[in-house]
Amino acid sequence: MKFGKRLKQQIEETLPAWRDKFLSYKELKKLVRLISSAESPEFGKADAGAEFMYLLNNEIDKFNAFFMEQEEDFIIRHKELQQRIKRVIDTWGPGGTKPSEAEYKDEMAKVRKDMVDFHGEMVLLVNYSNINYTGLAKILKKYDKRTGGLLRLPFIQKVLQQPFFVTDLVSKLVKECENTIDQVFPVEVEAEIVKEQREAITVAGKGIFRNTVAALLSMQEIRRGSSTFGHFSLPPLDLPDSDLIHSFQLNSPITTV
Amino acid sequence: MKARPALSIQISGASNMGVSEGLSSSLPAISTPLEDTYRKLPGTQQISAKRELMGRPLVRATYSSSNSGVVGHIFSSSSGFSSDLHYSSSSPHEKHSRNAPFISQAPTNGAASPLLQSSNRMMPQSMMSSQYYKENSGSWCTDPGFPDFPISTPVQSCQVESTNCSGIMTSEDLCKSNEWQEWAEQLITDDDALASDWNELLVVDNVMDMEPKVAKPCTSTTLSEQKPQVHQRPPSLSVASRSVVNSSSSANNAPAKPRMRWTPELHEAFVEAVNQLGGSERATPKGVLKIMKVEGLTIYHVKSHLQKYRTARYRPESSEGSLERKSTSTEDLSSLDLKAGMGITEALRLQMEVQKRLHEQLEIQRNLQLRIEEQGRYLQMMFEKQKSGLDKLKASPSSSENPQELPAKGEPEASQTNHVNSGTDTANVKSTLERSSEEMGGEQEAPKTTETGVSKSSSPPSKRPRIE
Repeated sequence: MKFGKRLKQQIEETLPAWRDKFLSYKELKKLVRLISSAESPEFGKADAGAEFMYLLNNEIDKFNAFFMEQEEDFIIRHKELQQRIKRVIDTWGPGGTKPSEAEYKDEMAKVRKDMVDFHGEMVLLVNYSNINYTGLAKILKKYDKRTGGLLRLPFIQKVLQQPFFVTDLVSKLVKECENTIDQVFPVEVEAEIVKEQREAITVAGKGIFRNTVAALLSMQEIRRGSSTFGHFSLPPLDLPDSDLIHSFQLNSPITTV
Repeated sequence: MKARPALSIQISGASNMGVSEGLSSSLPAISTPLEDTYRKLPGTQQISAKRELMGRPLVRATYSSSNSGVVGHIFSSSSGFSSDLHYSSSSPHEKHSRNAPFISQAPTNGAASPLLQSSNRMMPQSMMSSQYYKENSGSWCTDPGFPDFPISTPVQSCQVESTNCSGIMTSEDLCKSNEWQEWAEQLITDDDALASDWNELLVVDNVMDMEPKVAKPCTSTTLSEQKPQVHQRPPSLSVASRSVVNSSSSANNAPAKPRMRWTPELHEAFVEAVNQLGGSERATPKGVLKIMKVEGLTIYHVKSHLQKYRTARYRPESSEGSLERKSTSTEDLSSLDLKAGMGITEALRLQMEVQKRLHEQLEIQRNLQLRIEEQGRYLQMMFEKQKSGLDKLKASPSSSENPQELPAKGEPEASQTNHVNSGTDTANVKSTLERSSEEMGGEQEAPKTTETGVSKSSSPPSKRPRIE
């Protein structure tokens, strides 16, 4: 139940709009248990398998729909941000139509914040994709284990081709975003100061940042090593700077209505 | 998942499964006759049919109530697992129709699930718009006031009559007046749809995308708003949705739910077209569609995309995301402040760092997962070849020749997979398998060399789970 718990945590902490878009892992697990224990003649293994597949397909549809919609939004927003930056530079920048350092700084700060949040949201979508995939893989493994079925392998192959799993485009946007940020907001050498400030940093609120930290921590936990480690298990997470991540103490989630 | 209303689930033949407990569907019992009809529908996508099943009893029950009432009822009750909806309607007997398409109803379900899951969201609206497409047969119109669930009767008859798109097409026209048509749309499946790439399909729920974010409760007024739009739908829609707007292809049977995957290039073309027409406010979907001249792009795709585009442009502050952002932005600020009193800049930098880290790890994880599955595929293949080789061995007297072919076949596969490269050079199939599985076992730190055991004894496939 470790994964299930982690997933639940992530769902609780995720952006409200995303809450119901995740894998219904618990339900599916219950189903697997029911299937394995209630093998009545009327409801043969093939039937159970079909039912199960049906549900999984539904879940996948759900993921795909949500993912592609978000992706579309991201494409639009990405372009808009780029244009917005240009506009700000052209208007209030040094060589702009109405240069004003104050305005420029002000607007740029806003843009920067928006960009960073945008970046975070995209990364969270990739995380969404990944955690759902992981859940699917796990539930399939459970199914096969419990019922002796051979559902997993072919099914997972198909999953790999699903739009929600093919996160290339979003990753590309993420990288482009990073590049833009690095270019427009060059990082000054603040390494020293940063290290000093890396004491317990409380991350409150339900913002993007909090979500990302939660996701990272989750991932680390999930991959810490499992009792059923096997051929198809992922190795423990290799997080350099994991102390950084751990220095973020997450406040208890603020329950949102 | 929240509690569900105590609508009894009845799946013929599956009632003893007790699944209902686990999944407490919010749908009422499915009537058997529906199932039968359902089963007969050749090209029908399970989901749609299932929806029907579920929808009908529900509709009947609430027929007298107003639409909004029904809707409200549905929504509040379906606060759970969307699969419940489908699940309860499915029956073991239907497996044949269900198993086929992997993605099957794809968008349909995708669009439908939100509906079920959130009672206060746009769902209904999305559903409406998504229904847009799926024109239903004329017979659908006979049952007005379908709440969220796929219209059962009309769809049913429609589909029973003809599963080819032409039949559906005409019926679509007839149904235009049906306010709940949208729901029905999801059920429609063209023949063509079977062949088309579901990726191209676009769930028009995007159209109402912005609104939902305001958490508008679904009301009949909203529903009626959708109505007029439905009329626009050109009969040729589903045909158009066929062409691949996006390169990826997967098994796809849900024609009515064209879900399109936008790309930056496509978006560029879109922006170009919009600018040509004088800006996002002035541009019309039709005009944009015309200028873009992209095959497979439908007016619905453009419409929803345009809506998103407009919102993104004219609400730059909150456009970075749904309205939740507004409420969280203050929290963000406070969280920034809390970051050990760092300046905003520093806080942002830190945020970026964490985000980058997460992204990096996700990519690594994804690659690992891909490789793992690749390996699994390889193992499977090797196993099958081994098996077929052994069968041949048993069959033919000159057994020495056969094993030789297999290593050769195995090699190309092996070269594709990093891990197993080292273990597949031998000529003898058996030793090849043994060695490769041993090496893989070693590398993977998993002593699962059952492959060896398998190859030795040619044990039945049921032993395979161990390898997984």
